[in-house]
Amino acid sequence: MDVETVKERAGPREFSPADDMPEKYRKAATRMIQFHANSEIMGAYLEKPFIRQAPSIDRKLAFSAKVQDEIGHGQLLYRAAESLGIKTREEMLDELANGEGKFLNCFHYPMESWAEVPMIAFFVDGAAMRRQATLKSSSWEPYAHAMDKVCFEEGFHVKHGEDIMARMATGSRKEQQMLQDAFDEWWPRIIQFFGPTDDKSTHHDFSAEVGLKQKTNDELRNAFLDAYVPKAKSYGLEIPEYPRIEEVGDGEYHVEEDDLDWDEFFTVSKNEYEPGKGQIDSRKAAQEAVDWVRDTIEGDANLPGSQAAPAAD
Amino acid sequence: MIWEVFRQEKPGDYHTHCGNVHAPDREMAKQFAVIQHGRRKPTESLWVVPQEEVGEVDADEVAFGGTTDKSYRWAMAYTSSTEHAKEVIASQQEQEQAEADRQRGDD
Ligand SMILES: [Fe+2]
Ligand SMILES: [Fe+2]
Repeated sequence: MDVETVKERAGPREFSPADDMPEKYRKAATRMIQFHANSEIMGAYLEKPFIRQAPSIDRKLAFSAKVQDEIGHGQLLYRAAESLGIKTREEMLDELANGEGKFLNCFHYPMESWAEVPMIAFFVDGAAMRRQATLKSSSWEPYAHAMDKVCFEEGFHVKHGEDIMARMATGSRKEQQMLQDAFDEWWPRIIQFFGPTDDKSTHHDFSAEVGLKQKTNDELRNAFLDAYVPKAKSYGLEIPEYPRIEEVGDGEYHVEEDDLDWDEFFTVSKNEYEPGKGQIDSRKAAQEAVDWVRDTIEGDANLPGSQAAPAAD
Repeated sequence: MIWEVFRQEKPGDYHTHCGNVHAPDREMAKQFAVIQHGRRKPTESLWVVPQEEVGEVDADEVAFGGTTDKSYRWAMAYTSSTEHAKEVIASQQEQEQAEADRQRGDD
């Protein structure tokens, strides 16, 4: 299939591994899905240390289930990316370990206190879910199928994240203050989750033309603000003065983008932000520490008579 | 040789199991599947898979979903009076449906 035909046919779940897709499409889809997969993994590693800090056993169970889900999302997405035939899962994991693999801005920042947990588990998961719901209509069928399962699970993440936030928001004065401080710090990053405005984003046009992406950065960001600004306010959080957010009409919001630090965003996006480098390296160390497990599994699979051996055709 | 057949009704749908055919090789299996399983029901694509390559694990061997109460994994476990984003509501509805299906299976 040539690129023109792809653009003509582009629609929800239109293309699958059975179709002969042009390299340009396969590369664009790989870049997008690999980024998504990497983000699931890096998000899980950022949250993982907080399982131990959970204030109750119920919280600990729920939060560890959530982190486990995120690793599962990463695995599903690497499968969807692999199905494009550009990169293997091993290659993508190695790229993530050596700092070439790109991932979401929010997961480059360090997290220090429990009050920051809902910033990820409610707002970032909420933002991610808003985008993921639109990707159920992506033109790469394996990606859309992965989104079915991810969105099924995410309702739990977002509501659990909200529950953590609600508890702090109705807690002691000190807890409320900690929550507000965390919000002040994370809010601009959360808005930047959706990336720069469309005319500054390099990859949008082609991905939209071939149906990989369904909504623009701007549409998604505005849709997120419409749903989550009222949410924040309903928990008594004060929206920081900057970036300026304007109510433009009936429950619709718009952010003054020039108020956001895009230099920092692009430094972060290139994996050049110091705390982010630390996160990459610590995940790399974890990957290396369990190499022996994977070697053992793969070694066993190659023994004659093993059930894991591939079928002879 | 037995081949399990999976049918996809519309582009983008999942391939779901719909039966099997008896055939000596993959090509014949595809042809038989077309005739037996793709003739009347709406069909966009079929997969054929050698039955002996299918691995199975069933409810006698494992407790699917675990043996302890994991209600904390469900959106329904968290209540708040605020209005939820539409995709969160949709996710919860899917979970409620899945839970209802599971309970029906238990009876
Ligand atoms: Fe996720
Ligand atoms: Fe999540």
